[in-house]
Amino acid sequence: MSKPTGRGKPSGLKYFVPVVLGKTVRAFAKLRGGGSAFPGYVTTKLAPGFLEDVTGQFEYGIVYVLGSNGKSTTTHMLTEVLRGHGLRVFTNPSGANLPQGIASSILAESSVLGRLDADIGVLEVDEAFALEFAATVPPSTVLVLNTQVDQLYRFYETERVADMMLDTAQQARQHIVTNREDPYLSKIARRYPDGDATTAPDISYFGASAELIAGAPHGLFNAKDYRDAAIEPEHHDALAELVATDRAGATIDVAGATIDVTLPAKGLHYAIDAAAALATAAVILGDRFDAASSAAAFAAMKPAYGRGELLDFGNEQVEFVMFKNAASLQLNLDALPEPPEQVLLAIDEGTPDISWIYDIDFAALDHVDVVTGAKAWQIALRLEHEGIAIGAVEPDLKKAIELMRALPKPSTGLKTWIVNYEIMMLARKQIGFLELENQR
Amino acid sequence: MNTTVTIVQLYPDELGVAGDRGNVMALRARLEHAGLTVSVVEHHIGNELPTDVDLVVVGNGPLSAMRNVYDDLVSLGDRLRAYRAADVPVFAYGSGAELLGRSITLLDGSTLDGLGILPFRATRIPERSVGYVIVDTPFGQVVGFEDNASRWSLDSKAKPLGILEAGTGNSEGAVEGVLDGTSIGTQVGGPVLPLNPLLTDAIIASIAARRGFDYAPAQTNADLDRFAARAREVIAANAKHVFSRI
Repeated sequence: MSKPTGRGKPSGLKYFVPVVLGKTVRAFAKLRGGGSAFPGYVTTKLAPGFLEDVTGQFEYGIVYVLGSNGKSTTTHMLTEVLRGHGLRVFTNPSGANLPQGIASSILAESSVLGRLDADIGVLEVDEAFALEFAATVPPSTVLVLNTQVDQLYRFYETERVADMMLDTAQQARQHIVTNREDPYLSKIARRYPDGDATTAPDISYFGASAELIAGAPHGLFNAKDYRDAAIEPEHHDALAELVATDRAGATIDVAGATIDVTLPAKGLHYAIDAAAALATAAVILGDRFDAASSAAAFAAMKPAYGRGELLDFGNEQVEFVMFKNAASLQLNLDALPEPPEQVLLAIDEGTPDISWIYDIDFAALDHVDVVTGAKAWQIALRLEHEGIAIGAVEPDLKKAIELMRALPKPSTGLKTWIVNYEIMMLARKQIGFLELENQR
Repeated sequence: MNTTVTIVQLYPDELGVAGDRGNVMALRARLEHAGLTVSVVEHHIGNELPTDVDLVVVGNGPLSAMRNVYDDLVSLGDRLRAYRAADVPVFAYGSGAELLGRSITLLDGSTLDGLGILPFRATRIPERSVGYVIVDTPFGQVVGFEDNASRWSLDSKAKPLGILEAGTGNSEGAVEGVLDGTSIGTQVGGPVLPLNPLLTDAIIASIAARRGFDYAPAQTNADLDRFAARAREVIAANAKHVFSRI
């Protein structure tokens, strides 16, 4: 990493050439029909201090959102809550969470003189790159959502991911916000000799009431901390505590106020993401934090891309339930209020190792109409071990979608497609929704 | 005649991050289809092991989980060695197998002693092997997914589970796993038993031979076998696929 050079004057002519070049590359990339991380690369290569200078202008600094699951959803929630308080928020499109992708999105919105009109930046950042990125774009606040068993072929061991996130959290200049219910994350104060009494950053927690967690079929699915004598979470008071959920929303106590929020998608995991977003908004806004504005922001919120979205499919609708790993699949299944009438289940090679599907409880499904994706036969094998009836196994996604189309219209008008990330992208395109996640 | 087969699964929470319950599920399904009663004893830290068992199954977990169960496992050493002396088969995957081996040398050079029940030494290495794997075993072709950073060095007289056709296996000698009598140690995941009915049947045959009952795979396995066969075809076709990592 080069040392930032842009200290002092926050922006100016020195960025004119790098920014124009980057924007030109971006325009060409868009013409060719793709989003690209390359423009950000061009600009930051030519002007290494660019990112720190642009983001350094934000009055409330930069918030990082990290976690095994829920980054996109929570980034979206926090952004909308802050906007609901009148802040101008810069955020990266969900999914564009690697450093060059973030750089490209900053470039896209900044002027040729290196100015970006925003009061705060809210960035979801990939766990593996967050610490390195913090050296370039220092966070004022770091929100860490959860540590769940995720992509072991990539991360090797879950505790390694936990440490990546904890190390990054400690780069926060002002606030750390994290999950009281997470065995690894709840112990972050141990990293400070005074247990966080006097030093910056301050540490705040979000959580859920013990009754809610105990009532969930598989709890919150956070990874156990096997390296510590106490493998369970450490208790703390929570700044934001989820106290109730229902079909449409959740009740969250935030710093003494009770806020009823509607949720953009179903499930305890989305509800606790909402608590995370509210806790973070509360520490950032301080006295400006307002319960009514927060609730209004949730009421107006749309689902994040592919997360509980409803898309038109002929005279029916498709409900996308997207998962990336065991935790997100289990929590999404647990959130189904009843077994869906029509179900497509799909995984392709975008999820290389699916051995964990044998750790999933599929009791929330009473049948699956179509199993698809390159791993279709492996999924069918798993379901057969559970005695779950399968309508058809069709590895070809296009044909599988036609099979779903041919089924009679469900009484709810809703077909549920439970898919991994890559299939979600392909299936959206297949049924006529052409925009990519990072082009939204 | 109603015969009960008792399977002990060691530390299903700690050493169970790679669908290891699936291996037990596959055994249970085929045993039950064959008309046998199955009792699965999940062993957790602090529990007692039963004296009479028919199979010991252990799976994979991170180093922290291995350390977490270590003292309890050592306390089970005599009982587990008694099982082996009585020819009770062991099916061990990944780091669970390593704990039953002779020793595990970690990246920092330190060593964790194993129980010495399986005849190999494990060494953690910087290079990670991730992808589909195919092994030619005495029971037939076994396929699955490997994800490990371990080299397994077999004792001089020990036999591997099979010869590698694709993948990395033991990272030593173009072989995979260890086959010691009726006991198996392997790094083929997936999990491996649902995907490979012939291996599951071989383990059940060992149990049957020891207990003195007849075992023939049931007709009611047809759907399981068909799905496994198709899944195996796809895996064999994609076995050369290279997966991207960080």
